[in-house]
Amino acid sequence: MSDLAIPTLQAKVKSERSALGSLRMVQTASILVIALLIVSPLFMLLIASLKDDRFQILADMGSFRAFWVSSPTLSNFAEIGNLSGELAFGRYLVNSLVILALTVGAGLIVNSMAGFVLAWGSLRGRALILSLVIALYVIPQESIIMPLVIMVSRAGMTDTFAVQIVPWVASPLYIFLFYQFFAQLPKELFEAAEIDGASVFRIYRSIFLPLSLPALATVSILMGIESWNQYLWPILVTQTDYARPIAVAIATFFGQDSIYWDRAMAASVLMMIPILALYLAFQRWFVSSFVGSAVKG
Amino acid sequence: MGKRLLSILMASAALGGVAEAKTVIHVMHQGDPGWVATYGEIAKRFEAANPDVDVELIYAPHDAYNEKFSAAVMSKQLPDVMELDAPFLANYVWSGYLQPIRPLVDKDVIGDMTESNIAQGTYPIDKDLYAVGLTDSSVVLYGNKKYLEAIGARIPKSVDDAWTREEFEGYLEKLSKLDGVKWPIDTFRGYGIKTEWITYAYGPILQSAGCDLIDRKTWKSVGTLDSDPCVEALTMMQKWVTNRWVVPQSSGTNQFFAEGHPAALALGGHWFYAEAAASMKDDIVVMPLPKFGPRGASPNGTWIWGITTASEHPDIAGKFVSFMLKDKLYRDYAREDSGYPGLKSFAADSPLYAAGGPMAVAFEQASKTAIARPPHPAYPAITSAFMGAVDEIFNGGDAKAALSKAAEKIDEDIEENDGYPPFDEQQ
Repeated sequence: MSDLAIPTLQAKVKSERSALGSLRMVQTASILVIALLIVSPLFMLLIASLKDDRFQILADMGSFRAFWVSSPTLSNFAEIGNLSGELAFGRYLVNSLVILALTVGAGLIVNSMAGFVLAWGSLRGRALILSLVIALYVIPQESIIMPLVIMVSRAGMTDTFAVQIVPWVASPLYIFLFYQFFAQLPKELFEAAEIDGASVFRIYRSIFLPLSLPALATVSILMGIESWNQYLWPILVTQTDYARPIAVAIATFFGQDSIYWDRAMAASVLMMIPILALYLAFQRWFVSSFVGSAVKG
Repeated sequence: MGKRLLSILMASAALGGVAEAKTVIHVMHQGDPGWVATYGEIAKRFEAANPDVDVELIYAPHDAYNEKFSAAVMSKQLPDVMELDAPFLANYVWSGYLQPIRPLVDKDVIGDMTESNIAQGTYPIDKDLYAVGLTDSSVVLYGNKKYLEAIGARIPKSVDDAWTREEFEGYLEKLSKLDGVKWPIDTFRGYGIKTEWITYAYGPILQSAGCDLIDRKTWKSVGTLDSDPCVEALTMMQKWVTNRWVVPQSSGTNQFFAEGHPAALALGGHWFYAEAAASMKDDIVVMPLPKFGPRGASPNGTWIWGITTASEHPDIAGKFVSFMLKDKLYRDYAREDSGYPGLKSFAADSPLYAAGGPMAVAFEQASKTAIARPPHPAYPAITSAFMGAVDEIFNGGDAKAALSKAAEKIDEDIEENDGYPPFDEQQ
């Protein structure tokens, strides 16, 4: 019986392994397909930026030719580089980077401080303030954009970098994100620091902030993408290329009668690089933040 | 030392004084990279010719131009000179944003304007001129000569012998069966519903069919836009779409001259000619818009220049507009872009549109069949409602229901504004 049992068990193990192997293969294949679907628009964008005929780009869309370029050229990038005066893309790119850096930098400080105070501060009516912050999140940006335009123009901020940074530094979403993160940290941490005589600001700066790398990374990426993609707001509050970001410059290629797909695609690739770099730089903490929140429930 | 410092300070103060003495005028415009560069150059040339003036250009992308304009109004930052789309002129004048341009612009420029150019810049209430442009616009029917010859189509040479609806639909059907033709016609659905295209190009089809977007005497849309001729015209266009005769929106705007020439006809703007002709050479024919009913109709109106009431230097603003319209660079670029003449001198310099020129029929339409879009302050509401209705109909909606809804929306806007007096007294 035992002689018979061993080969049967081996066969069973073998068949289970093979089933597991097949399952893994299916899983891997599915992941690959999903990854391809997600990456394909970016790949198409990159390929299109290497084609020098804007009509061909349009004609190729919707077929597999969109993913292939027979004679790649960097001429679109060169043309963008050669544009000068009001269309100098280098200027717009630098403007966007400055706005991104200052918005994210100031945003991390302001939102994390607000989140910390809401989580651990001793101010009265914290719960009410938190409810108000959450309530603010549901107000669509479009509904306040015109009053905001009037406010900033009366404040003399039109056509400055500040007008593209200041209104977007404090955000209910990011305050709430930081609040959630800080509120989950152990109470003992706060109490021990308090007993040691640390001030609230010191506790925030030296203990809670260094522990909040995943939250900082998440907010940096989300805020960065939001700032980088701002389009309507800069059009409304800026007049010249002095402080205008690259998203506005790309819109030049979408004219009344013609769309310059070739140059628009090349400019979009250039626009994508910094935000991709930001994501890659913070990706580890960004992912751990999401995993952490899932585990903590 | 002290004296030297004092003189440096005085010199800087004097220089500062000179800098401050410069008059700044703001010019708001839209356009693709070619136009942006052209306006930049014109501004530099104007500054060189007028050293005491600085021209600050304010660029607003085409698709966000109206939002930028609204923001400028709200923040009291209207420019001195602004580019505006002609059908919006009545709304801007009624709202008090534009001033009469005749006293500010050189007389020879005004005297040089074509009739349709004067029409697009005129406010119907006081009949005064509020804007002027180097160009105007029109839409024609482009055809692929080889395909048309293959089906034995008659090729009209002037507006007077334009195709009738029966001829046109008969040719569409024949073309749909012809080898090599994927779509009989491109009506440029690829421009989408965010531009003025639908109202601009399809509105004349309604007018030709015997109706309009709004009654131009009573300024009521119900009973006009949803009248039988309009419903019939839109049902006809819906049939073209459902028969797969029309290039779909997703296929872009170049199927007429793309590789293999998949579209046989194109109901396209005058600006389409330059690219299409460069690609198709002798295979392209330019024909007048077909007559879909009792009369021929074609569109006009393009982006023109006005001077705002907010301008503190209207005289300099007028000087700039005059300078720009006479500028060689501006005219050269407009001509290369197959610019449709709005000034007689520009027409004389545009062989494309002269008698015997390949686009002569387009220019002929300006005097024979051009009908401006409704010159009424409710135009933004009219165009928005109509474009929504056409989009709904092309996507399978009921023509009568969609047009009735649009007409009601237009009338509601007019009622909400008390009839936009004094338009309510116009009969």
